[in-house]
Amino acid sequence: MKCQSIGATLVVLGALALAGCASGPGGSIYVPPNSSPDYGTAPEPPQSAPQNSTIRKSEQPEDTRQGAAEPGVTPSHQQSADSLSPAAASLLRKADALLAQGNTQGAVSQLERAQRISPRSVEVYYKLSQAYVALGQLSVAEQFTLKGLSLAGQNARLQRAGWMLLADIRRASGNTAGASRAEERAAAL
Amino acid sequence: MKKSANTKKRGPRRPSKASSRRKTWFWRLAGRLALVGIIVLAGWTVYLDAVVTDRFEGRRFEVPSRVYARPLELYEGATITEAGLRQELSLSGYQRVRAQRAGTYTESGGRFVINTRGFRFADGPEPRRQLGVTIANGQVSGFRVLSGPDAALTRLEPAQIGGIYPAHKEDRILVTLADLPPTLEPALLAVEDRNFYDHIGIAPLSIVRALWVNLQAGHIVQGGSTLTQQLVKNLFLSRDQTLIRKGNEAIMALLLELHYDKKDILETYLNEVYLGQAGPRSIHGFGLGSQFYFGEALKDLKLHQVALLVGLVKGPSYYDPRRHPERARERRNLVIETLLANGSIDSKTARRAEAEPLGIADKPSYSEDRYPAFIDLVRRHLARDYRQEDLQNQGLRIFTTLNPTLQSTAEQSVRTTLQQLNEGQDESSPLESAMVVTSRDNGEVLALVGGRKPDYAGFNRAVDAQRPIGSLIKPFTYLTALEQPDRYTLITPLEDRRFALVFDDGRRWEPKNYEGNEHGMVPLHTALAHSYNLAAVRTGLDIGVDAVIETLRKFGVTGPVSDYPSMLLGAVSMSPVTVASMYQGLATSGFNIPLRTIRGVTTAQGEVLSRYNLAVDQVADPAAVHLVQYAMQETMREGTGRSAYRYLPSSLSLAGKTGTTDDGRDSWFAGFSGDLLAVTWVGHDDNAPTSLTGATGALPVWARFMAQVPQHGFSPVVPDGVKYDWVDSRTGALTDKQCDNARFMPFIVGSEPTDRVSCSGELTRRIRGWFEGLFQ
Repeated sequence: MKCQSIGATLVVLGALALAGCASGPGGSIYVPPNSSPDYGTAPEPPQSAPQNSTIRKSEQPEDTRQGAAEPGVTPSHQQSADSLSPAAASLLRKADALLAQGNTQGAVSQLERAQRISPRSVEVYYKLSQAYVALGQLSVAEQFTLKGLSLAGQNARLQRAGWMLLADIRRASGNTAGASRAEERAAAL
Repeated sequence: MKKSANTKKRGPRRPSKASSRRKTWFWRLAGRLALVGIIVLAGWTVYLDAVVTDRFEGRRFEVPSRVYARPLELYEGATITEAGLRQELSLSGYQRVRAQRAGTYTESGGRFVINTRGFRFADGPEPRRQLGVTIANGQVSGFRVLSGPDAALTRLEPAQIGGIYPAHKEDRILVTLADLPPTLEPALLAVEDRNFYDHIGIAPLSIVRALWVNLQAGHIVQGGSTLTQQLVKNLFLSRDQTLIRKGNEAIMALLLELHYDKKDILETYLNEVYLGQAGPRSIHGFGLGSQFYFGEALKDLKLHQVALLVGLVKGPSYYDPRRHPERARERRNLVIETLLANGSIDSKTARRAEAEPLGIADKPSYSEDRYPAFIDLVRRHLARDYRQEDLQNQGLRIFTTLNPTLQSTAEQSVRTTLQQLNEGQDESSPLESAMVVTSRDNGEVLALVGGRKPDYAGFNRAVDAQRPIGSLIKPFTYLTALEQPDRYTLITPLEDRRFALVFDDGRRWEPKNYEGNEHGMVPLHTALAHSYNLAAVRTGLDIGVDAVIETLRKFGVTGPVSDYPSMLLGAVSMSPVTVASMYQGLATSGFNIPLRTIRGVTTAQGEVLSRYNLAVDQVADPAAVHLVQYAMQETMREGTGRSAYRYLPSSLSLAGKTGTTDDGRDSWFAGFSGDLLAVTWVGHDDNAPTSLTGATGALPVWARFMAQVPQHGFSPVVPDGVKYDWVDSRTGALTDKQCDNARFMPFIVGSEPTDRVSCSGELTRRIRGWFEGLFQ
């Protein structure tokens, strides 16, 4: 019974992961290396400190502005998670196939590869959660759902899916109060 | 009966009675001695038989465990520089030659064509492929499978970064007869033991023939011992050439042949034979020999390579192709000629093989001690689940998380910075350093540096140096405060003024700012970004030292933590690895992630023994962590960490925190980008003072590293329950975006200010907010 109800949410998630691949760009800004490193030699970063490194006494560096960031560059944040990269999406599909075959450990391995490639996309964590539900490790599954939710940001679709998944997992593990709270969160979206 | 027969024989010669008695006595003695001899020999043979069967039946080889770096994943969008890819390929033993064979690559103008060898991973095999990989701006901009099964991504074979060896340091890769290239067995038998399949372990005829062949050739071409004798010699006996040893060898060879079939003996020989030396490690067997000399799997070897390996059996150091290429070539071609002479190959094949260059791969660049600090940590993690002897002889395969490219960047950053810092300083007590790099979102340890000379094994400071963490503790103090949004927000004014605590026992404690000054009332975010001590201690005392300790515990700190107020200034000792583990939760919106150095362990055949899976555990409110992350980003842009941008592109957003202890005894920096978390420490082993701060010692190491790594900037997703508002943080009121002092800052919903200030500084109290509500 419990597993069936989780199963229902997971079907929704399955569709979601694939939809995730189609979601638009955005997310963390990629920055190429500053210098072109040649690992054999020892390159000097272009703006390196003077050779005779002046050791400053202060923990608060002098305000020479030379090393300071451009004025106006402020702390960064974003409203929604990074999208799933195509490479990670292909691993999620592979994991789905393994889950369908009942090879859950195999699926976890592929999902961990996907996590290394797209560590800031929600879908990977929901999928990991799904795999741990299949393994019967509900507390691990709950944590991966929470991790996914922490990245869902303003995306109502991902939020709703996450809260519903969380409600199912909590109910299956006997935490009915927690399940209701999660359901309320899903309904409020 | 016997006696009468003797008498008959002796009769005609008429011996004297005395001599007859003597002879009888002699024969009786000889008979008895022979009997004793036979009994002793029989006993000895029984003993040798036990030795032979015992050693041969039991586990025949102690195979060391192999430790692998993480495999490089190649796909469109993967972050890697051209130099990084080149380095990875070379570590995995790839040769840069224009060829179709596995284990080679070509490169021109950022476009690589790579012929992978394929590899059996814990989660299944990665087949052989030819890949087209284009790199631009530190990223894979094009990825295509040119031949082999199509895939959106693929893994290169992981580089071997170490081994766990038995005491005798013998290294080998076991092969079976099915793994042999077709020419190996004929070549080996032609040169070493022509009648292998016909003799009974020893072959007196071959000794004679060997002598004859060698005389004809004028030098030694063949040895007289059979393969079985050579194997017995290697497996059971010492190296000295005595008659008794020769006798033992012959008996044992006969016994071996009696008990086991030829295939079994041949296979054992192929895995036992000594083929070279790499430092303290001896290279045994054709499986490892093939890797060691050609960087290729044995089954892929061509005739000329097989001939070289077979030729090496006779004298691996005399014919060492790396040191004596001419000798090696002559020996190789002699083997080819022998094959031609016995009709195994035709003359065209022989000529072609003889014309081939030796094709020796660069000596594998890893040595056992190439990554001593990282391997040390791996061994400690393995010790939780494995016995040392199993690691030394079961041939396990250990898949670690080490990223060789990041490791060398980290080593180089430590080396370069420490050289600069140590310049002109007292040489007897140089500054030391340690560095830990982890993957921000999964806790994998990607690089670990244990000292200023990273390739020297020794004191592993990254793991074993327990040093006070100084201001690195402050984010946890402020996090504890910000978890109470009704009391603290990022703009809560804090008092940065001197005060003294008097304890019950009469001791006084008077914390000071680093420069001894006071800053008056400062908003919380500024106090953290500029690392003001007085504000931090007052906040910590306000929320309670116990609450801060509780936060540290939640973030995984298990060691002793003092509950004296001085802990609020970091009088808590930790290793860099512990700091990294504690900061992991700050870097990932409140999720603890255990640090891992091992992904999995398999048997030599690829069967999974252990997996070390990713696990996350939410320990803090993501909303409060988000606020701390804001202030830690401000640290990098405006606060104590801003000198990092001397090295770094401004477009890379980062979050971090400096740490300095009394008299500069410890200089710390901990910080993260979107992809990586790194912790650096600089100080003296003997805890002597330095003139450094976190910003001048540890920060340059950190920033040099970050500057060279292609990566994503830190840009956290705004969690549920956090909203951003434009505020004037000095007055603590909402303001307009275009105002000079406006900052767009995060608040836990409900804790944002309600007062509003205009650009000119006029405060319009709630009335304005009330009107806004009216017209909405």
